[in-house]
Order: sequence, then C-alpha cells, then structure tokens
Amino acid sequence: MSQQPSSARRGARLLAGAASAATGLLLLSGCTGGPSAEMNSDYGFATAEQVADSPITVWVDSSREPAVKAFTEAYPDVPLEYEVYDGNAGGSGTFQTKISLMDQAGEGWPDVVFSTQQNDAIWASQETNGLQAFAAPLNKGFMDEEFLDGFAAGSLDYSTIDGTVYGLRNDLAQNVTYYNQRLLDEFGYEVPTTWEEYGELGDKLAAEHPGYILGSLGDSFMTYVYYGGSESPVFQADGTEFSSDVEDPNTVAITEILDGMLENGTLVQDSFFGAEFAEKYADKLVAVPGPVWYTGAIFQGALGVPAGEIGVSAPLHWEGGEIETGNVGGGIWYASSHTKNLDAVEQFLEFATSAPEFQVEASSGYPANTEAAKGWLAKLAETGYFVNEDFEQVMADAAGQIWDGWSVTKWSPESAWATVVIPGIAEGETIESLLPVWKEELDNEATVNGYTVK
Amino acid sequence: MTDRSQARRRSATTPRQWVTKILIFALLAGFAVFFVLPIVWLLIAPTKGGRELMFEAPFAFGSLDQFAANWQALFAFQDGVFLTWLGNSTLYSFGALVLTLIVSIPAGYALALGDFRGRKLLLMTTLIVMLIPNTALVLPIFLELSALRLIGTPLSVILPFAFFPFGVYLTYIYFSTAVSKDLLNAARMDGAGELRVFAQVAMPLATPVIALVGFFNFVGNWNNYFLPFLMVGGQKVPVQVGLANMLSNVPQFNPTTAASTVIELPTLALATLLSVLPVLIIFLFSQRFLVEGMTAGGTKG
Amino acid sequence: MTTAGAAPRGARRPSAGLRHSTTSKRQSRFNYIFISGYTLLLIAFGLLPTLYALFLAFTRNGAFVGVDNFLRVFADYRFLPAVLHVALYIVYWLISLTVVVVLLALVVHALRARWASSLSRFLFYIPGAIAGASSVMLWLFVLDPTVSPVSGLLHAMGYESLVRVVSIDNLPIVFTIIAFWTGAGGWIVIQYGALNNIDTEIMEAARIDGAGAVKTAWYIQLPMMTKWISYMGIMSLAAGTQLFVEPRVLSQATRGVVPEDYSLNQLAYLYAFRQGDFSGSAAISIVLLAVALLLSTVFIFRGRLFESD
Repeated sequence: MSQQPSSARRGARLLAGAASAATGLLLLSGCTGGPSAEMNSDYGFATAEQVADSPITVWVDSSREPAVKAFTEAYPDVPLEYEVYDGNAGGSGTFQTKISLMDQAGEGWPDVVFSTQQNDAIWASQETNGLQAFAAPLNKGFMDEEFLDGFAAGSLDYSTIDGTVYGLRNDLAQNVTYYNQRLLDEFGYEVPTTWEEYGELGDKLAAEHPGYILGSLGDSFMTYVYYGGSESPVFQADGTEFSSDVEDPNTVAITEILDGMLENGTLVQDSFFGAEFAEKYADKLVAVPGPVWYTGAIFQGALGVPAGEIGVSAPLHWEGGEIETGNVGGGIWYASSHTKNLDAVEQFLEFATSAPEFQVEASSGYPANTEAAKGWLAKLAETGYFVNEDFEQVMADAAGQIWDGWSVTKWSPESAWATVVIPGIAEGETIESLLPVWKEELDNEATVNGYTVK
Repeated sequence: MTDRSQARRRSATTPRQWVTKILIFALLAGFAVFFVLPIVWLLIAPTKGGRELMFEAPFAFGSLDQFAANWQALFAFQDGVFLTWLGNSTLYSFGALVLTLIVSIPAGYALALGDFRGRKLLLMTTLIVMLIPNTALVLPIFLELSALRLIGTPLSVILPFAFFPFGVYLTYIYFSTAVSKDLLNAARMDGAGELRVFAQVAMPLATPVIALVGFFNFVGNWNNYFLPFLMVGGQKVPVQVGLANMLSNVPQFNPTTAASTVIELPTLALATLLSVLPVLIIFLFSQRFLVEGMTAGGTKG
Repeated sequence: MTTAGAAPRGARRPSAGLRHSTTSKRQSRFNYIFISGYTLLLIAFGLLPTLYALFLAFTRNGAFVGVDNFLRVFADYRFLPAVLHVALYIVYWLISLTVVVVLLALVVHALRARWASSLSRFLFYIPGAIAGASSVMLWLFVLDPTVSPVSGLLHAMGYESLVRVVSIDNLPIVFTIIAFWTGAGGWIVIQYGALNNIDTEIMEAARIDGAGAVKTAWYIQLPMMTKWISYMGIMSLAAGTQLFVEPRVLSQATRGVVPEDYSLNQLAYLYAFRQGDFSGSAAISIVLLAVALLLSTVFIFRGRLFESD
C-alpha cells in the first residue's frame, strides 16, 4: 500500500497507538462487568445504593404517557422524569437494544420501563456478562404479595420466569366472541359457542348469504387468535426447550376448519387494518373471535359500527372441552434492578397498574389488575355499546381463562405466520399444506434463538 | 459553448437528429416522472382524510379543511412534541455541519495537494472506515461517549455526525482534479504563507465542493436514524426517530398495543412531509451552488 | 496568522534548493495542522471502533477464540440467504447506478438549453432530500397497490396486495428502485460537475475533429470521469453492503413478510441486540468489511483513486 518505508513505520506507530487506546476502551467497559454488589435479602436481588429522593426515569409509549401525568398530579413530591419512546413496538426491539448498550456501559439505565411486547422478561431476567439482570424481581420482597395477587389469574405468567415475577401486566388481551346481533337476527342464526359451530356457521353463511364473513386471516396476530385460542400446541417452550406440534388433533382440527372457511370465503385475507377491509366488510362481519381490544380498535374505530348491534359472548372452545382462550398483546411494566430509589419505583408501579386515575380513566386496554378492571368495565357499560348486558361478566371470566399452553419466547410467533402462512394462502395454498413449512420455520427460529427443538 | 457552434449545429438539424432529440426528451421526462411522482403524491396526501386516501384517485386534491385537521392532529400529538423534534434535528444537523466543514475541507485539501508522511495511510483508513457497517461501530462509539458522560446530550449525536469521511473524500477528489499544485506554488512564489494559500487561493476555488459537502452532510445528519436512536431519548430525539415513534401509534402498522393515541395515515404523511421540508427548502435555495457548481475550479488541463 | 504570511518575504533570496526544503517542511507542518481535526475524529469514531470490532470478532467474553465466532455465524441457517440477498441487490444496484447515472449525466451535460439542464438536475435530485426512514415510509405507500399513486401499474403487473409486491423474490429489485430513487440524483449532480471540469478546449477540439456526441463521450469524457465513477462505485458498494433501514422498516410495516433477517447488516443487528452476542455481530461486520474492501480494490486500482496528480 505504500512505497515509502517511513510512511509504513509511521503507520505502524499510529496503529499501535490506536490499539492501545482500544485496549483502554476495553478495560473501561470490562471493569463495569465486575462482580455485582451483595444480595439484599429484603428484595431478593442486589440493590444499588439508595439515594433518597433521587429522581426516577420512566420510559413509556405515548399511549401510556397519561399514566405518568396522572402520577405526577397525584404525587407531586416524587421526583420523576420520563421519556416517550416507541414502546418497543412490533419488532423494533428498542427496549432491549438500549438496555444492552447500557449494560455494556454499566450505567444510564431507566428506572421503570413500559413495553408493549410480552416477551421482554426472558432477556431482562438474564445476567449479561456477569452484570445483574436488568429487571428487578418483584415477588421476592420488593412488592406486596397481596398487591400481586390482585392481578387476574395467569396474567403475570408472561413475565414470570422460574417462579420469579419480573414485570407487572398493564392490560390483558383475552379473546372473546364478538357477534353482530342485527345480522344474526336477520339471518336467523345463533351465536357460535364452539369451534365446530363456528365452522358450520361458515358453511351455512357461505351457502345462504355469500359475501358475509366471519373474520380474516390477513393479520399476523391471527396465529394467537386461532391457534392459541384453539389450544393447539404449536408454540410451546419449556425453559430452553421448544416444541411445535402440528399433528396434534387440535391443530389438525382447527386447520381443517380454517381451510374450509377460506375456501368458502367466510374467512378473508384482507388485514383488519388494511385499506379495503372497512370498505368491503363494515356491515358484513357476522361474528368473529378476537381480543377485547377489538371493541375500540375494530368495531368502534375502523368499522364504525353504531352502538346496539354488537355483543360479546364467551370465547370459542372445543365441544365438550373446557373454555380456554388465546391472548393477543398486553403491555408490561418493568422495574430496573439498578434503581437508586426503590420506594419511588414501587409507588409508581402500583399507581400505574391499579390506580383508577389511569387504568379506568385514561387506558384503552382491559386492565390486568382485577379491581381496576371492574371500574373499566363499569365505565364501558355506561356507554351502552353492547347489546348483551352480561358482557362485563363475559370479559372478566375470559380474563382468567387464557390458555397457558402458548408460550412467550425470545422471538415472536407472528413472524413465522407472516412469512409462511400469509403469503402461502395468498398464493392459494391450503394451511394444511403449509403446516410442515410453518413448523420448520418455527423450529429454525427456535434454534437460532438458542432453544433446543424437541 | 459558443454561438458559432450553436449556429452550425442548428442549421444541420436532420430527421435523424430529431429522432435523437425526441428520444433524449423521452428519457429525461421519463426519469423526471419517476423521481418526482412520489413527492407530488406526498404533497397531496395530507389534504385528505384516512378514507379518502384509500379510495380516491391518488392525485386528486383533498380539501384545505382536511389539511387543517391533519395539521392540528399532528401538533396535538404529545402537546406538540413534533416541533421539539424539528428543533432537535436542526441543532444536531447544524452543529455537526459546522464542525464537519471546519475539519473536512482542510483535511481534503491537505490530502489532495500536500505531500506528507502518512498521507496514503490516512486515505486508506478513511476508505476502510467508510466501508465498515454501522452496526459494528455503534457499540464502541456508545462506550466512548458513555465514558465521557455524554450519552443523552446533544454532543453524543453531533460529534459522531461531524466525522464525515465521505466529505473528506469528496474534497480530496475535488482538489486533486480541479486545482493544480502549480497554482498554489505560484502563490507561494509570490510569498504567500500556507494559511494564505489555503484561505485565499484554495478556498475561493472550493466554494462548490464546500457547498456540496455541507449539503450532503446536512442531509445525511438530518435523515440519520440509527445513531440518534441509540444516543438520545425522550424529548431529545430528532424528527426521524420521532417519526418511528409515531409509526408505532398507527394501528395499521402496529395493531396489538391497545393504543389510545391514534395517528391516522394522512397525519403520518404530513409528518413525513414536514420532516423533509427543511432539507427541500435548503436545497431549493442552495441549488444554484450545488447544481451549477463544481465549475469554478478548472485551472487544470 | 499574519506572521505566517509575512515570514516568507525575508526568505526570498536564498538558493532555490534551500528554499524548497524549508517550504516543504513548513508545508508539511501545515498539512498536519490541516488534517489534525479530521484525524482526531477519524481515530475516535472510525479507527478505534473498527479495532474494537476486530477485537470482538476474535474473542468471546474477553477470551481469544480464534475464528470460532466466524464459524458459528457461517453455520447459522440465516447467513447464506442473507449473503445471497445482499449480493443480488448489490449487482442490480451497481449496474443500474453506473450505467444510468453516467448516461443521464452525459445527456444532461450535452443539453444546450441551460434551463432544461438545470431543471432536470433539480428534478432528479429532489428525492435525495428524502432518505432513510422517511423515504421508506413513502415507498411503503407507493408499493401498496391499494393506495399507490401507480396502483394501475401494479395491478397491470398482477400485484393485488403489498405482500405480493414485496415477496422475497422481488425484494432486490424493490430495494434497487428505492435506493436509486433517493441516491441517483446526488450522483448525477456530482458526475455532472465532473463533466463540467473537463476542459472545454478539449471538447471543442474533438468536435472539430468530427467526433460525434457519442464518440466524444466514449473517448474523452468517460476516461476523464473514471476517478469519479470509481468513487461512486465504492460509496455505493459501502452503502449496498450495509443495506439495513429499508428491509428493517419494510419488515416492521409488513409485520414480518419481509423477514427481519433479510440482509447481513440486519443479521448483525439481531446478533448484537436480540441475542446479546456482540462477538457474532462483529464477526458478520468484519466479513462484510472484508468483502467490501476486496471489491473496492477493483475500483481503486482501475480508477487510480489514490494518485495525487
């Protein structure tokens, strides 16, 4: 590269200098990863040195900003700073990305983080390079046992690793069955209660009233609605073992129902949020299984269905089986194990997850905290949107009926659905024929993420 | 081009030349449409509502009322945080721009016209560093800035932005193709010192490349997402990172988050438009420099 | 500053040889001043991070592991597809760039009407203002047949939904189009500038010798543009191997139809920030760097980039 020996020598010197500087950089980052402080038995993790009244930093997405505002109004003395970020939205990985950089630097962590994803506890509960895990254990003395018991049954499962709770659920997204009473009356149909009836209703509807539909497969979260909701063991992780059973009777049965409905046109492939769904199907959607947030996002929002038409009933289940349902989303609050003001963090977490000022008045999601959920349902009842009066009971029951056989893992099950199934059915293939490919993709993703495939 | 040659050419227009002309026109017009069409669409989109955007003709104008509604929706978002984002972008981009020009132009000049030990090494390193993927550089840069306690401050964005090897290369190539050493030596013979040679001989010749480097740097900084995404947060983020935060509130792209703050597509289009507007405006005003430029040198040959 | 300018006056008389050596000494001292600011930044934000990445690539948790990290990355089932994706994209991108940009620059330069020339450069350049996330957002709209301004065209090509348009086989072309749209204008401006720097006398001489526009371009303009074309090649190669924002935003917006591990750089990102494996991530980056360097040497030596003439 250079003909002059002098320039080469100079180059070597420069390189040597730079190399030693790089070593310095290493040491700098290395020393932060040293052995962490001693375990604090009152909390179950090594707490940082506490600084009374030190400000806490909270990361929220913009929909959770009202929680922070309500808190500062209720507790003006607690010093709090907050940053609005993208809420770790769909695959952005912002939360983990930033924390992993801060772990490397050994400083700068936020004290409380809200994430719209469900799987952050998996990485946030792990030590990185000898540094204490980011998420603080909450049920080892940090938070009241009684308070933790106030969350709907199973709602803390996603943030519980080996019996330790690492995060508080903000909202639940249990599936129920939505139906349009006006259309059912007009056609003389009953609300389907089981998956079998759902499939049969599809056949009848297609034959008697073509053009009307019972749902869509165009969104990637349908994997939770139809496979999670039908107790199909497609996505199960136990520790670091992953299994995906596409030959299980439930998997086969639901696939057969879905293929039939795709073929007869009662399941469409447009996204609920896509351009044409509202235009084509606003008054054509007869019944559909889906999470409780469909109320605001789909029926009142995208489709604009007026009050007095829509009702909700218990989740679809298999004939003769227990009611188990799927879950589509729900955010989680985490506390940092590095915080210098544990008291303020505890106070904030309790407020954000249970205080009616936020959960009832300003939150659109169904509160995971049972008391807050009652207030939230009562407020919804005031609007008189639903045709059935027992909708509060239906939703509250479903909150405790989420099937525990669908796991959260380091990666999202939605991506395999989106890369294999959605394009596949768009090409006109059946889901049945795609099952092996889907399983292969899931297994591959599991392997890459460090799971062993059973 | 002189009048004489133009006259000569015009008189000799043959049918074949007409065909060539039409072909050239079609070529240029075709590409112009390709480049401009999406922008025209972007200008029109904020005048529509969500449904109009989907179902009306793509280039049909919506209404000013709807535009006002979208405008209000955008500036109501988080109490008008959008303006803060724009302000941040301005601070980061201009801060880095000034630094970049101060360090890059002299460096490119010295690399092109000077002869000193380490010159080729510096060029080679510049080149290698330009090729290495950003993902690899991000962690060490973060560690450095964290050690200096700069994370979350404007400097954590401005300093890395000011490192602009592309600009040094551009300057280097410009000086080495458009300015000759003889010219500088002549000035030296006349007794000008090195600083004066640089300031009074080289710099005036370099206006076009300064404009070019400045512009590319500004655009690059303004549009950079990844670095500020990692270095700053909350109220300090520039508009590109802010846009991504807005994207997470658009139900079409992010349905499962139980969002109470909802951004409609036309509002997002308006945000996109406003986020690029400063760059467009600067381009409009500096385009004479940029586009007409690069001709000032030319003592070579 | 003033003293530096005044000093040489007294040193005017001495013999040419002596004078030359003092001048060059002073010159080189000033050269070092000129490059000092840039060199500092280069070390801080270029060289050191690169060395750190090199270090990471050959170690794991601080211990030297040889090429283990590389082997692990190569064995990853996502690696080879990502390589192929990026390679294909780069081929399309470089070809379209060198051919179309040079052609358009020549044509625009040959236009005799000044307004037509500056108007077309202006129009070509405008998209350059819209890069990064904003440009992908815009293309998201353009590529979706249901809202696209060119929906007619997309329908005519048989595409009914965004998912079909961005199917994996189409992606290299889609990314080429996006990159070309944002990047080509800037290069046209730069190449046009390079053409302007060619002495008009040479051009005139060629014309008088009876060379047509095509011949002039081929025998005179193109050879004089090689340095600029190589420069464009290297820069585009660098940008091409680092394909990241486009597939990332498309992946988020299509909820995974465009895989989040489409390009190598995305894979490096996943390694670092999803799997917490900074070593594996660095290994991918080093591989990318090696390939880009290898390819760049072609441009460097063909384009004589380093000669200071």
